[in-house]
Amino acid sequence: MGNKPKVVWLQALTCNGNTQSFLSSNATRFEHFLNAFDLVYHPSLTHQMTLSNLLNSSFDIDFLLVEGAITANTNFFSLVNKSVKDILQQLVQRSMYVVSVGSCASYGGIHAKFERNSDISGVQNSLDNLLPRSQHPIVNLTGCPVHPEWILQTLFTLQTKKSIQLDSTHRPVELYSHLAHHGCVRNEYFEWKVESKSFGLKEGCLFYDQGCRGPMTHSSCNKILWNDISSKTRVGMPCIGCTEFDFPKENLFETKKNIGIPAEVPLGISKRAYLSLTGVAKTFKIERLNKKIIDENS
Amino acid sequence: MKTVDIIERIEGEAKLHLSWKNGKVQDAHIAFLNFRGFEYMLQNKPALDALVYTPRICGICGQAHLYATVNALENIYSNANIPLEITPKAKSLRQLGLIIEIIQSHIKWFYYFIMPDINQQSHHFDEKFVPLKGQSWLKAQEASSSIVKALATFAGQWPHTSYMIPGGVVSDPTFMDMIFVENYIDKAISFFEKQMVGVDLSHYLSFSNAEDITHIQGDVNQFIQMSFEQGFDTIGQSHDRFFVISDDLGFAKGKIKNKNTVKVDLNKIEESSAFTFELDVQKQKKEKYTWAKTVKYDNLFYETGPLARALVQNRKQIKSLHKEYEDTILTRVMARVDEIAFLLHQSKELLQSISLNEASFIEPKIALKEIDEGFGLGVIEATRGSLQHKVDIKNGLIQRYDVITPTVWNLGPGNSLDYGVAQKAIIGVKSLHEATMILRSFDVCSVCTTH
Repeated sequence: MGNKPKVVWLQALTCNGNTQSFLSSNATRFEHFLNAFDLVYHPSLTHQMTLSNLLNSSFDIDFLLVEGAITANTNFFSLVNKSVKDILQQLVQRSMYVVSVGSCASYGGIHAKFERNSDISGVQNSLDNLLPRSQHPIVNLTGCPVHPEWILQTLFTLQTKKSIQLDSTHRPVELYSHLAHHGCVRNEYFEWKVESKSFGLKEGCLFYDQGCRGPMTHSSCNKILWNDISSKTRVGMPCIGCTEFDFPKENLFETKKNIGIPAEVPLGISKRAYLSLTGVAKTFKIERLNKKIIDENS
Repeated sequence: MKTVDIIERIEGEAKLHLSWKNGKVQDAHIAFLNFRGFEYMLQNKPALDALVYTPRICGICGQAHLYATVNALENIYSNANIPLEITPKAKSLRQLGLIIEIIQSHIKWFYYFIMPDINQQSHHFDEKFVPLKGQSWLKAQEASSSIVKALATFAGQWPHTSYMIPGGVVSDPTFMDMIFVENYIDKAISFFEKQMVGVDLSHYLSFSNAEDITHIQGDVNQFIQMSFEQGFDTIGQSHDRFFVISDDLGFAKGKIKNKNTVKVDLNKIEESSAFTFELDVQKQKKEKYTWAKTVKYDNLFYETGPLARALVQNRKQIKSLHKEYEDTILTRVMARVDEIAFLLHQSKELLQSISLNEASFIEPKIALKEIDEGFGLGVIEATRGSLQHKVDIKNGLIQRYDVITPTVWNLGPGNSLDYGVAQKAIIGVKSLHEATMILRSFDVCSVCTTH
């Protein structure tokens, strides 16, 4: 019991969405996590340990998980009468690994849009080059919210391998190399450039009119499904790009176009290649793809 | 004597300032010190983007904010006399989403925020309620993560989907999808029956008087025993006035004052910042002590939430509990438990009535950005009570966005001349534990309170 790695979850400027996402983990996986790790402090969950207790203690923390954006401005945010930036710095020095859970902790996220407080940023930017005891870089798990499995797999990997391979923005490559587009059930419509005629349909790709950012967004949302069940794009909601560092962009429910052509094309594809392929694909009128996918009358 | 305590496990934290005299709380101030500025963020954003912003006000009740936003945006159309058609199917899928969110929240609140403290103080301490370890706690995690699968089936994910949009919903579930949804609702019913109350849902729903709580078994029975043991049937009374803003989800709209239920006029809702911090530090005044605003109806504080809904709707079991035990902790908690049963029943009815052949979405004839100027009001009953969103748009951009959350109604500040709802409920109690449990009985959500 006593040897289980100690996990501390700190909440800063947050909606608690990552906590709620974490609590929505598959129950078997969640219980496995609780058996393998010792969640010694979480502001919504632990009963005996409070934040004051934690800050007055000195035990070594194995994994510090941070949810929410960081600020030093105590007019807008403080915990136990301290700035959350100070609390973060204190805890990082006690921790072996630090994981930013969600887009807000990674770079400020939606909370950085509150411009009256000009001092809002992610964990990494708030550390003044401080590193955890292992010297392992801060791990960023972007997403608004982050998928609970991404948290669990990161923790289990760090526990087993002691390090995790990160991309240039410090996200685990295995979780953020795929695009949200990969695995979307609407992929065939994208291949043949068949746009969705409107919201509320099973048919058509949401990239052309509804603003879907799936082909430009690194995430495994359609590989590791949400709530074990589905994803936004699968049911018909455009990807809003919440795992990228420019989230939230503007006009999230429409595709920006120049003379009828999407202003942004899939990642790494040249506009010329995209347009050539589109031109060819559009010359074919494929009957099956223009019909209802499930025809109740057939 | 004065004390200041930090209250945690309330979706954030609050600072409780208490003045004590002869062993009793004589004055109480509840301060929420964290402010995120959503109403400011939304200024100058494209109107539809509010569908992505407002759910992020709160991770546990995001679907309520989404629903309030979509109602407000659709209200812009009706105020501009532009016809908009929402099919009953789209409406049902919205309602079902919100119902599922409320159910999972009530389950978490009971097991994560209420039971750990009350169990800790009880002479009948039971290991099964211990956070992260106890069997009941773990079963609650399983139940709450299971029922949101029903929501993910037609909304893509939970938390933080924006599947509702002016004109309907984005998804078009199949018959099998909806059977799958029903399977997960049935699983939640089974949890409620076996784990929470130990009786069949239909039997539970037939309870109509205060003595019927003696038939309740399961974890709720232990709550009831511990409540009587700790005197929670005698503390927590407030103004005994109740407010419900919307009749959606099968609730009844209205207010109760002096035991009379009457209609509400939304124009009489008034928000003030008399005790609320200023953004500009230079303008700060001594009487300003929290980021929460104050909201009153016709110049009076009203309690909102499950107890208000049960009473305004005249649900018999809670009505008789309220008659017997007033607006105490016991009644407030039982109203939330009772609402789980009511909403599980409602969700089954909704699933029966939904017609999948209808359209999920009917494109509005005019886009919001083509409306020069507009105003919209959206109201909804969220997990913790009445939620209101107001929006002004000009050339497609949001000029002003105003949110009044349920926790502003219940936790918003007043002073000794006229205490806010939770504030008044705390006056006169004999210990910090009692004060904390009274606060918890309102299901405090710190992030919503200040947004």
